[in-house]
Amino acid sequence: MTESSTTAPIITIRNVWKYFDSLPALQDVSLDIAPGERVVIIGPSGSGKSTLLRSINRLEEIDQGKIVVKGQDIMSPDNDINLIRQNLGMVFQQFNLFPHKTVLENLTLAPIKLRKLTREEAEARALGLLKKVGISEKANVYPAMLSGGQQQRVAIARALAMQPAIMLFDEPTSALDPEMVGEVLDVMVKLAEEGMTMVCVTHEMGFARTVADRLIFMDQGQIVEQGRPETLFTTPRHPRLRQFLNQIL
Amino acid sequence: MIRRLTLALLTLALLCGQAVAAEKYIVATDCTWPPMEYLDENKQPVGFDVDFITEVGKAAGFEVDVRNIAWDGIFGGVATGQYDIVAAATTITPERQKQFDFSDPYYEVAQAVVLPAGKSIKSLEDLKGKKVGGQIGTTGVFVVRKSGVPVDLKEYDDVGLAIQDMLGGRIDAVICDDPVAMYYANKKADTAGKLNLSYKTDEKEYYGFTVRKGRKDLVEKLNKGIKAVKASGIEAKLLEKWMGASK
Amino acid sequence: MHDKKDGSKGNIIMVTDGASIPDPREWRLINAWSIALVGAISTLFALCLCWPEPYLRILLYLPDGILITFKITVLSICCAVPLGLLTGLGRISNNRLINLIASTYVEVIRGIPLLVQIFYIYYALSRFVQVSGVTSAVVAISFCYGAYMGEVFRAGITAINKGQSEAARSLGFNGFQTMRYVVLPQAMRTILPPVGNECIAMLKDTSLVSIMAVPDIMQRARSFVGTTYLYFETYTVVALLYLVITLMLSKTVSIMESRLNYYDGK
Repeated sequence: MTESSTTAPIITIRNVWKYFDSLPALQDVSLDIAPGERVVIIGPSGSGKSTLLRSINRLEEIDQGKIVVKGQDIMSPDNDINLIRQNLGMVFQQFNLFPHKTVLENLTLAPIKLRKLTREEAEARALGLLKKVGISEKANVYPAMLSGGQQQRVAIARALAMQPAIMLFDEPTSALDPEMVGEVLDVMVKLAEEGMTMVCVTHEMGFARTVADRLIFMDQGQIVEQGRPETLFTTPRHPRLRQFLNQIL
Repeated sequence: MIRRLTLALLTLALLCGQAVAAEKYIVATDCTWPPMEYLDENKQPVGFDVDFITEVGKAAGFEVDVRNIAWDGIFGGVATGQYDIVAAATTITPERQKQFDFSDPYYEVAQAVVLPAGKSIKSLEDLKGKKVGGQIGTTGVFVVRKSGVPVDLKEYDDVGLAIQDMLGGRIDAVICDDPVAMYYANKKADTAGKLNLSYKTDEKEYYGFTVRKGRKDLVEKLNKGIKAVKASGIEAKLLEKWMGASK
Repeated sequence: MHDKKDGSKGNIIMVTDGASIPDPREWRLINAWSIALVGAISTLFALCLCWPEPYLRILLYLPDGILITFKITVLSICCAVPLGLLTGLGRISNNRLINLIASTYVEVIRGIPLLVQIFYIYYALSRFVQVSGVTSAVVAISFCYGAYMGEVFRAGITAINKGQSEAARSLGFNGFQTMRYVVLPQAMRTILPPVGNECIAMLKDTSLVSIMAVPDIMQRARSFVGTTYLYFETYTVVALLYLVITLMLSKTVSIMESRLNYYDGK
């Protein structure tokens, strides 16, 4: 299935333009993402895929167009962007764990301060998540002591601690040594199997093939082609997509 | 007269290609004590002391190079030989005589207490419990301490600052040498008329020129000069010029 | 400073003047700091024991001066540090007005010598409002050092990896919470040593209060010298006193610094 036409989309992106100085990073991009859908975005560097992802939680501000998350226009001053963001978990290429907090504290900080959980509730939830990502023995360790793969798994758990409806992944394995990529992808696959709505920017084609409901190829700020992964891999229609796949596959 | 002669000799000597130096002494004075010494608009030291020591020098046969040095370090400087003479309205006291040598007295003063216009006191006892300001290390401060009257004594770097503070209402009185008090009360542009020179101590003090201990030769020269200046009538002229009237 | 795992480098912010903070990782007993402290205290003791006249007399004349110096320093630190933080945040702010106010404040204050500022507040403003000597000193010193510290705070905060605030914002923290829970705690490590140095410089600048006849250590010393002419002896004691106080302050900063280094990887 390409798009679910029966349920309302959980993210709506309409005619979005974004400029860096005078250069357009996003050109008239439109996209709907259904709840529970797993979307993977691929493309050459500079294609705007990270910019698009970061526009969804307003880390980048769009210049034209509209982005609606769970019924709320993220650019509208009537909506509290901080509340909207609590529903969007983000995982970064550079992990961005808080180095001055232990692993457990990284996970409990936001739930305690923002969702007003008690310390016990937050820690219980955190320990459950750490178990899920396979790293519970490191709960009281500082991030500097962890490997890259371990840090990224903690980062995923941290984002999940806020129980978001949607998870955004910005090239989560690109900064990892090859032997650690697998452990992180395993966690992401598990997440996908549980039905989490995911938007993922990545170069990992194997992951895309396994997990994605829809693959989106971007080039020069535009969505050039989209569809099921097998379709795009075996019968790419657009010449630029063909060129890209030749380079990486 | 002697100065002109010396100058002529000097020029002659220089013309002959031989340097003959007239005796020249460095005189330190703290130019915050008008009218004895202060800075004019061109930042040059002027005042009774400046003129007096120059005249003494003329009479005794030496030249002076007058420099403005902060009161704080002035004694340290003469003790270490950086300056030869201190001509800074320095009262001769037994404590100071232990450490330094003085010339003969050349000026008589009393301590004066200055109050804001309209206020007055009859004796030091009237200052009981009040805030009194004076300059650090001056005999005014010593007199207050010696008197035993319980006052809140504040020592300022500069008597002018003490007067400022009194006009600002923070302290009640300022104690200093009477020529200075008279100057601030009568002559100085922004304070004249706002002050009342209310009380003078009966005890008199005497100014002397200060030199490093042991320099008897210098003391002799100074005394010679002082006698000459007092006898010649120059002193009277200077008093007229700086104090406005003879004492 | 060493590289951290997430790729950012620890920053060293140059500072103008002040004692050097002893290295918090220094574990050897004999080091520059301990030599200086032991040397200063024992010299002071020896002088007072061997020549009580005049050294002990000098030492007994100064204690209320020490109290005042301390009082002014502590109050100034308590005012200058928050002021520095606000100024630093103001300089980073996107709000044009706040940014302008903070920047102008820094420019103006850094252009006027501290002594002049003290003088102005105490004497010049006395026409309109009476401010006590200690208050004038605290206000002038806080404003002066607040401006310098503002720059330190600004540099320390901007040195923190942008990814940290992005991670915090994406979790739903607002700007204030991000600063408080994520950015500032990390920035404190780079900010603390220079701020500590500024506080030590502040201690020495308190000697300027003598212009207001406030009896701190320096003014008491000058008053003593004014009567006794014991320049060498008095200023020896004063130097040793300031040294001891400064060394203790710098050790305090060093201990605070080591407390902040708890999360470094090995």
